[in-house]
This record gives sequence, C-alpha cells and structure tokens, in this order.
Amino acid sequence: MRVSVQDSRRYCQMAILGSLFAFASFSAAQDVSAFEKHVTVKKLANGLTVVICERPEAPVFSFFTHVDTGSTQEDIGQSGLAHMFEHMAFKGTDKIGTKNYPAEKLALAKVEQTYAAYNLERRKRVGRDEEKLKALLKAWDDAMAEANKHTVLNEFGQIIENNGGEGLNAFTNSDETGYNYSFPSNRVELWAYLESERFLHPVLREFYKERNVVMEERRMRTDSAPIGRLIEQFGSAAFVAHPYHRPVVGWMSDLQSFSATDAKRFYDKYYVPANMTVAIAGDVKAAEVLPVIEKYFGRLPAKPKPEELSTVEPPQMAERRVVLHDPSQPFFIEGYHRPDYRDKDDAVYDAIGDLMSNGRTSRLYRGLVRDKKIAAQTAGFGNYPGQKYPNLFVFYAVPLPGHTNKEMESAIHVEIERIKNEDVSSDELKMLKTRAKAGLLRSLGENEGLAQALGTTQARYGDWHELFRQVDRIDKLTAADIRRVANKTFLPTNRTVGVIETEGSSKSAASQGTE
Amino acid sequence: MSRHTLRRSLIRFLAAVVFGFATSHSDAQVAPSWKDVRIPALHAFKPQQPKRIELPNGMVLMLQEDHELPIIDGFARIRGGSREEPAEKIGLVDIFGDAWRTGGTKTKTGDELDDFLEARAAKVETGAMLDSTNVSFSCLKADFEDVFAIFNDVLKNPEFRQEKIDLAKDNNGAEIARRNDNASGIAGREANKLGYGEQNPYARVAEFATIAAIKRQDLIDWHNTHVHPNNILLGIVGDFDSTALEAKLRAAFESWPKGPAAVSSKVDPQPAKPGYYLVEKKDVNQSNINMVELGTKRSNPDYYAITVFNEAFGGGFSSRLFSNIRSKKGLAYGVGGGVGASFDHDGLVHLSMGTKSSTTVEAIQALYEEVDALKTNPLSADEIRRAKDSILNSFIFNFDSPAKVLRERMAYEFYGYPSDYLERYRTGIEKVTPADVARAATKYVRKDQFAVLVVGNTAEFDKPLASMGAVTNVDITIPGAPADAQSEEQEKPAATSNPEGKALAAKVAEAMGGLDKLKSIHAMKMTISLTEKAPQGDVKTPLESTLVCPDTMHAEVQTPGGKLTIVVSPDAGFVVTPDGQVHDFPSAQKTDTVLQVKRDLVCMAQHADDPAYSFTAAGTEKVGSLDARIVDVAGPGVTIRWYVDPASGRILRETYQAMGQSGPFEGATNLSNWKTDNGITLPTTHANQQNGKDSSVAEFTAVKFNPTVDPKLFQKPVAEPKPAQ
Repeated sequence: MRVSVQDSRRYCQMAILGSLFAFASFSAAQDVSAFEKHVTVKKLANGLTVVICERPEAPVFSFFTHVDTGSTQEDIGQSGLAHMFEHMAFKGTDKIGTKNYPAEKLALAKVEQTYAAYNLERRKRVGRDEEKLKALLKAWDDAMAEANKHTVLNEFGQIIENNGGEGLNAFTNSDETGYNYSFPSNRVELWAYLESERFLHPVLREFYKERNVVMEERRMRTDSAPIGRLIEQFGSAAFVAHPYHRPVVGWMSDLQSFSATDAKRFYDKYYVPANMTVAIAGDVKAAEVLPVIEKYFGRLPAKPKPEELSTVEPPQMAERRVVLHDPSQPFFIEGYHRPDYRDKDDAVYDAIGDLMSNGRTSRLYRGLVRDKKIAAQTAGFGNYPGQKYPNLFVFYAVPLPGHTNKEMESAIHVEIERIKNEDVSSDELKMLKTRAKAGLLRSLGENEGLAQALGTTQARYGDWHELFRQVDRIDKLTAADIRRVANKTFLPTNRTVGVIETEGSSKSAASQGTE
Repeated sequence: MSRHTLRRSLIRFLAAVVFGFATSHSDAQVAPSWKDVRIPALHAFKPQQPKRIELPNGMVLMLQEDHELPIIDGFARIRGGSREEPAEKIGLVDIFGDAWRTGGTKTKTGDELDDFLEARAAKVETGAMLDSTNVSFSCLKADFEDVFAIFNDVLKNPEFRQEKIDLAKDNNGAEIARRNDNASGIAGREANKLGYGEQNPYARVAEFATIAAIKRQDLIDWHNTHVHPNNILLGIVGDFDSTALEAKLRAAFESWPKGPAAVSSKVDPQPAKPGYYLVEKKDVNQSNINMVELGTKRSNPDYYAITVFNEAFGGGFSSRLFSNIRSKKGLAYGVGGGVGASFDHDGLVHLSMGTKSSTTVEAIQALYEEVDALKTNPLSADEIRRAKDSILNSFIFNFDSPAKVLRERMAYEFYGYPSDYLERYRTGIEKVTPADVARAATKYVRKDQFAVLVVGNTAEFDKPLASMGAVTNVDITIPGAPADAQSEEQEKPAATSNPEGKALAAKVAEAMGGLDKLKSIHAMKMTISLTEKAPQGDVKTPLESTLVCPDTMHAEVQTPGGKLTIVVSPDAGFVVTPDGQVHDFPSAQKTDTVLQVKRDLVCMAQHADDPAYSFTAAGTEKVGSLDARIVDVAGPGVTIRWYVDPASGRILRETYQAMGQSGPFEGATNLSNWKTDNGITLPTTHANQQNGKDSSVAEFTAVKFNPTVDPKLFQKPVAEPKPAQ
C-alpha cells in the first residue's frame, strides 16, 4: 500500500517539476503551458468564477474566496462597512449558529427597528430628548438580549475548526475582501457546503457586539499605535477625491452609526456571483471537485455586477505634508501618485520597488542604512493603499536614534534622483529579473499561497496567466524604462509626506513610565 | 491506475452502503445540513521521513528530498543562545547573529556575499535565538554548489568586520529607543519579565549599556566556543539526491574536529509577586491586559491535557475566551491565552486581551470570571470532544509538506525528544479525558498566583486599578536614552533663539574676557588632573589635552599601565593603547567625543553672536544657593544647556546628553574656581556627573591658548601587526 501511495505522489510531483524546472531557465510564457495542465477555470452560469489547481502533494487543500469589493465601495457615512461585513461572514447562516431561526429572524428584525429608532434620536443635532433616548437605548438592548437567546455562539467557525480547518481567516482592504482556510482533502464537500451557505444565507446576528469588536480593532491598530495614527492621516491627505482617502477599518463615528441593515444592503449589492472568484488548490481533481462546486455555489442567485466607481483622483498640484507631534520616536513616509495595476508600466513599478528595497543590495539599504548610517530600516514599494485604482508608490524610513526625518527625506531623495538620472546597471537589472522569476517559483510550492495568487489574479485580470506574464514583463523591461517611469512619477508636486516628530524632550518620549 | 485509487473507490463504495439513504443526495442534490455532508475517510498518507546521518565528529545531518520545485533550502542550528550570554552583555548573541553573516568571511566581505547571492536570488543568513544560533541558505538547485560553498565558509570562517558590528549595534540601539512606542510591545516585554523575573535570561532585554559593552572579540569568542560539529544539527530539504548530497556533506564536514560541547546553564525563574502592575501610557485609548504565572515543559505528562485545555479555553473561534469575551461581550478584538509549555524550559501561563480604556477593570473581571468558571462550570465533555476533534482533524497539517516533516524532526532531535514524538503526541491527545483537563486547569491556572499587568491610559479607566488590589507601578524608563532627533531639529536658530537668551550669551562671553578675545582662540592645550570616582576608591589620572575648535582633539592620559592616546577629528577616531595597538572608536563613541569638543566652553561661547547658533532662555533653576537662568544652546550638531548666574555671567552648570563606556547618559558638569589667565577667565574645577551621580572631577592646572599644533598629532599611527592566531 505504502509504495503505491508514494508512487502516485511522485508521478504528480514529476509532472509539476518538469514544468517548473524549465521555468528556471526559460521564459515564463513557455512554462505556463506546462503549469496550466494543473489549472482549470470555469465560469458558472450564475457568473461565479472557479479556479482549481491540482497539487496532490498531501491529502489537504486550501481555498480562497475573492470578493471584488473593498472599502472603496462604501457610501459616505459608512466607512468600515466592507470590513464589518467580513467579520459578519463568520456569524453563521439560517442553519448554523441558531437554535430556532424563525424566532431569531423575528427578534433580529426587532433589533433593527429599535436600533433605527435609537440612532435617529441619537443623531439629532437639535432637540434631542435625553429621556426618550434612554428609553430607546433600553428597547434596543432588550431586543438584542432577546435575539441572543436564539444564538449558538460562533458555531460556524467551530464546525470548521472541529473538522480540522487550519488558518481560518479573512481580510478586507481598500480593493478586495478575501476568505480562506485549509482542510483535509476528505472534507471538500463540507467546505463547498459551508462556503456557499456562508454567502447564500448569511445571518447578521450579534452585529452590534461585533461592531464593538471592530472598534477595539481600530483602537489597537490605529488609535493606540503611533505609526497607525500617522498612516491614517497620511492616506487621508494623499487622496482628496478618491475613496482611498478613508481608512479600511472606518472612522469611529461611522462605526458608531451604521447598522446590520446597512451591512445587508452592502452585501446584497456587492456579494454577487459575478463579483466573486473561488480558487482551490491542493489534493483535488478538477473532474471530481468541479461538479461539487457547481452544485453548491451554483445556488447563489445571479445578479448584475455592481457598477464601477466613477471618481478619479485629480492630479496633485502641490506637495502635501502631515506632521504628527507624538510621544514616540520619529518616522518618515512619503508617497507619489502612480497609475493602477492595469497600467502598461505596472511591472516597471514592481522593478523599482525591488531595486530600491529588496535585501541588503537594495539602493535604500545601502544608501541609508549601510553607508550613511542614519536609518534602522527603509524601503519603497508599489501599491498603497490598493492597486485597483491609481494609488501611491511609497517610501519610508525609520531613523536611528539621533537622526532626523529631514535626513531621511534628503537621503531618500538622493536615491530617487539616482534612478531618475542614471541607468541602473546591467547587473542590477539582471538581479531583479532573476529574483522576480525565483519569487514566482517559490510561491508555487504551497496551497494557501497558490489559491490566493490564482484567485486574485483571475479576479483582477480575468486570467490567472497574468501571474506569469507579469514576470515576463519584468523580464523585458530596460534601464530606460526605469528612468522614464521614475522621472514621470517622483516629482515634488506629486508628493505627500508624513512624519512623526517626537513631542517633548527625549526623556518624555523614551519614558512612558510611572508618574 | 494504482491500488491507491482503487482503495479510495472502495472506501467510497463502502461509505455509500453504510450511510445508505442518508448520503444518496450527495450526487444529485446539496446536503440539507452540514451534518448530512458525507466525509469519507482521509486516504492513507505516510509522510516521507528525512534521512538522519550522524558523523563521527558528532554533527547530525537530516536530508529530506522534495522534488516538486528546483529549490534547495538548509538550516544549521547550533547549540547555545542568548539565554547563555553574560548579563552585562545582553544583546551579544543577537549582534552575533547579525554580524556573523553581514561581517563576511576571511576571504569575502559581507557586501560581496550580498552581491553574489542576490544576483542568484539566493540567501545565506544567520540568526540567533534563546537557545541556539543558526546559519541557513536557500537557492535554486542550479546554484547549489556556489551557495553551499558560501554557507560552509560563513559557518566556519566568519570575520566579524567591525563596521558591521557597529551597524548591528546601531540597529539594536534603535530598537531600544523605540521599545516604548507601542503599548503591545511594552505589554509583551513587561509581562515576560513579571513571569520569569526581570533579570531572567528568558525575559531580560538589552540596554544601551549592555550593547555598548559588546566587543568584536566577544563575537569571535562566541563562535570559537560554540560552532563545533558536535553542537550542530543541519537539515536540508529540496531537489537533490540524498546519496550524492550525503557524500558531499561528509567531504565538507567529516574532517572538522570536534570541540567542547556547548554548556547550557540552569536557569531559575524568579516570578514577580502576584498582584497588579501598571504601566501608564497616555497616548492610547485601549488597555493591554496580561495575566501571567509560570507554566511548564512539554515533557510534562500533563502536556496533552494542557494542549486540549488550551484549545478549549483560549484557542480558536469556539474557545471560551473568544466566545464569551469577544463575541458575547464585545470587550476585545484580541483575546486569548493558555498554559505555555516549551521544549526544554517552563513556558508561561499567559492570558491577554486589549479593551478600551473605559472597560479596563470590567475586562479584568471578565477574565477572572472565565478562570473561576473552570471550577464552577468545568469544560464539558462536549467542549473537550470538540477541542480534541480540532487538534486531531487538523493533525495532518503538522506534516503536509516534506519541509514541515523535517522541521518537526529537527526540533525533536535538538531537544532530545524521540523521533516518533508526533505519533506519541497524537496518541496522548486521543487519551485525554475531561477529568484530565479539569485537573490540569486547576493545577496550572491559578488566579491567586497571577501577576496582572495593565498598560493603559489610567485617566480613562472605568475604575482605578487600585480598586482591584495593591498596584505596583512599573518603571519602563529607558536607561541612558540618547538625545532624540528633536534636539537636532533645534539647530535651527531662528526657531528657538530669544532675546533674553542672546543677551545672556553675550554676558557669558563678556564674563570670559569678551567676544573678540574668545574668537581669537582656535586651539588650547590643557593640563588636567582627573579624579574619577570608582567603587574601589578615587583614581587620579594626569592628562594633557590639545583641542582645536570645533571638532578635533588629541589627549594623552597617563594610566598605571602606561600612556594612552585618544584622538578624534572629522576623519578619524582612535585610541592608541600603551602597547602600541591602535583601536578605532565605535562610531557612536567617536561622534560623542567630537561632541565633547564642540561642547567645550570656549568653543561654544565664541559663537555668542553667530546666527548659526541659537541661545534660548528657558526658565530659572537653583544651582547651589544661586538662582541660575537656563539657556539652551544649539549649534550645528551640538546642544547643551547652560545654567548662567545672571549677575556675574558665569556658567555655573552645564547639562548634556553623552555617551560613556557603558552607554549613553545624562551628563552634568558643575563649574567653579574661575581664574583669569591671559585675559581669559575660565573655571578650573569641572565636577562631572553621569545620570545624577558624581563621576569625576577635572582640575585644570594650566591652559595654553593657541599653542603650536603639530598636524601629526591627529594622524593615525600604523598599527603593529597583530600576533598570528
């Protein structure tokens, strides 16, 4: 028995190996043809895209559900709602997480009514009746307590964990929302059931408790963290018109206002099959798993893909600067507007990021850390806060004690001027091309990363092959491309700067001790 | 195709028969409930084990073939880590782990290695941990020969070039300076100290002074003491042929002579007393709450019950802490914890959460309720079953790749656990009963033994922490924090000079003999008798110093061992020891010595009307019996605070940030015994303090203005060759 298992495994390994080994020395395009034998893409009748990657290394698989919506899709006053819905996608369905759904449904409707009444009164600017507000608050609290009686806490996550789910998680960013975990491969159908029900019959129970959890997340990541505070201010300054100016986690006042009804409306509009991609990688056979996926996910009702955003960030005409006086050590960041990921120069920006930041041979490390000895860390990279829309190429530096943000700024500008005015050496060019290929190669040896990369690429470009083509594009770029793109992007008027300047003396900064 | 496939279809067939009608839906329609979804048996999977080879010199190799991708990765783990470093040099092993690779080898600098490796998208890196150091590599198969040669060279022949040691020390300094910026960082560090004891090797942290004390020779010594084949475990995974690689490794390592075994000293934890501990942090709106006490080791037979307990109590989505404190009460985003068990030392029992300031005490009580409930409402059979299911059903993820199997096996090998430990672990978990878990919970989670740490903004707390019990304030002041960047910002004179400050500066210059006279001075030769305070009594040292404003100095110190020469200039900074050896100053100390010159009274006062210098009057403070006016002085790259007697214009006291042999300190100098010589009036007694403690007194016995200065004084002598090693 053991021998045959090993043999079949080896057979599959050899198939993938053959293709990837070629890749190390030839172009990605040639290699894709071999890799694609393991990849199946299918668009279901309801518009859902499915990507399956067979990688039978061990009896496990990972999946990634990509939803083409993020915080950029939120309406005014509802910042944080995309992320909030992501939290709610762990709260179960009409069959999971409830003791009695019909009763719970009525109770949840009551929660929404009482909250709407409370919120209306709470938000009155003139003539708010405090007594009435108290009564409305009590009615809302009572309604929540009633609804909670029907709830089975966290049953959805519990089922996944008890079945051996690993790495259960999700994320939301400005552009996209993603859900993932891994399962033993005998639980493919269970996964298809759970993941399709999650988006077919979501129940937004315990919404307002979870809203408190999200506020704690905001306090942790943003309010109580100096760099978190700076980044929020920096992002808001860099974008004046485009929704990239608001934080993914949401402004506190919006978190205190939006409702489960708002979240459901957001879900109804954006969580439609045409806007979703499900990728699965591991010990699965497309011929076996595709019918299961079709059966379960095919139930999601077809709806039109939501309309695209119309707001385009206008050209920046003057440098913007955010100075945060904070009781913490100095920190420097600056960003330059750049086009979105579909731009013909996208690969050039990737190359600039690699050249400036990757490892101890990078321009910034050698300039600021090794030679000038003024920074502890420094890097420059492509896409902040997202890449679906025109975004920022960002540089940052962490000054060594005794060194200033000014020194960071001028030293980073020295390196920027170098790439604007001098061709990168052929050695550097070769290095970054080799690294791009090797980086892709290394990313293919792991289910979780594969599912995420294939799913995301398929969703963004409508074709997972772009994963390989991006490397091809990097392979073709020239020193002149880097100079050209650097010269058109890294201009003072196109710049937003954010710094933390230490408030008070070194003593107060360094000693948050007792008083 | 294979018997394997046949077996799978058989299982399916059997499953269908057994479940009969209940599963017949699965081909045509969806399951009505998750409970109805068919879960076939997981097909047999016996992960490939690495080949273990022990060389005659004691080096252990583990080779794990994995042909999926043309990549080869390796990891050598060497016994001995930061828990073994001396207390006065905390950070030594960390800096060793950095400079081992960046400092290059005997024949190649670290930068040359960077260029060579990055061109191949390859890595050779070194690192350090509590119990070991390591050298690792990762490369495309085609580059293996070259990369392995570098790996081998780094392992055996490091050079620890001084510049990279300095770089590593600077980076450590940055970490120290920034360690109180984030509440979570403070909480993690201080909770660890409460659990193990502040100076315990598992909790102590580097300080500026301990970093400053680390010398290149310490790194060389560490390498000489630890990096011997009998202390090394090397694992390699990837696209190679084991037989061929074994031959190659034998050729590379077999002739390497054995050395002394790494010694691991026994560490006794000294946990803090149970009670409440507080760190005030005013710039946060969320409290970080941590409860700690000492845990246990993985070798403890209770470990299986503890693992199940941890999963049920503070593990995932279905755990009690997550469900009750996060989901039900909405009190936290992050909450969790359990009983820590490390491979070879006691872990910590550690519960932690973050909650808004205004629910701090409420949250502590909520955590207590969960701990109390372990007795009043013990984890049920159902909760235990679910926890065991979670562990056992996800068991496959411990070995679902050849690299993971190798990693597990290397850990067992390193800590002396049996090679089939993973199987024993599975069996151990399967046997755990609810009674075992209840017993473990009572034994290890003891509320009355918790040290409870809160990092937060007390002004916003719902109730004072003291309402829970006696509170100890934890002092997290960073000893010897150097001047921050802000002080350099103050160089801009326009922003900071004020009229009174300028007037006082003019008065100071006047009292010293007038600005014109001061400006005519470009160099001074001073004869000084220095008395240093030392534990064994005062030590008197004669010295002669030639100073050229603003940044050059030559000093000759008569030590009991002979003459010591110290030179700093913009181009150099070195010490010539009595035996003729020349040592470069570390960059931080060189910078600071230049600052000493810049701070010199004459060098500063001659800029009293220089727009590049700012003079800011900033209040009054008593020095002795006199009311002194404070003047903050800032010039290019230098700051100092003067305490000026407004009546006489004499500077009574100076304070400044400086760097000593044991790290940065707050310096102060009291000036007295003013005497006039050649029309210049200067203090002849300089009483120095470091961090508020008397450190030394310098008596100036003679000062010569504008002496003839031989430029050769500042040139670096050619060092005598070092004796061969």
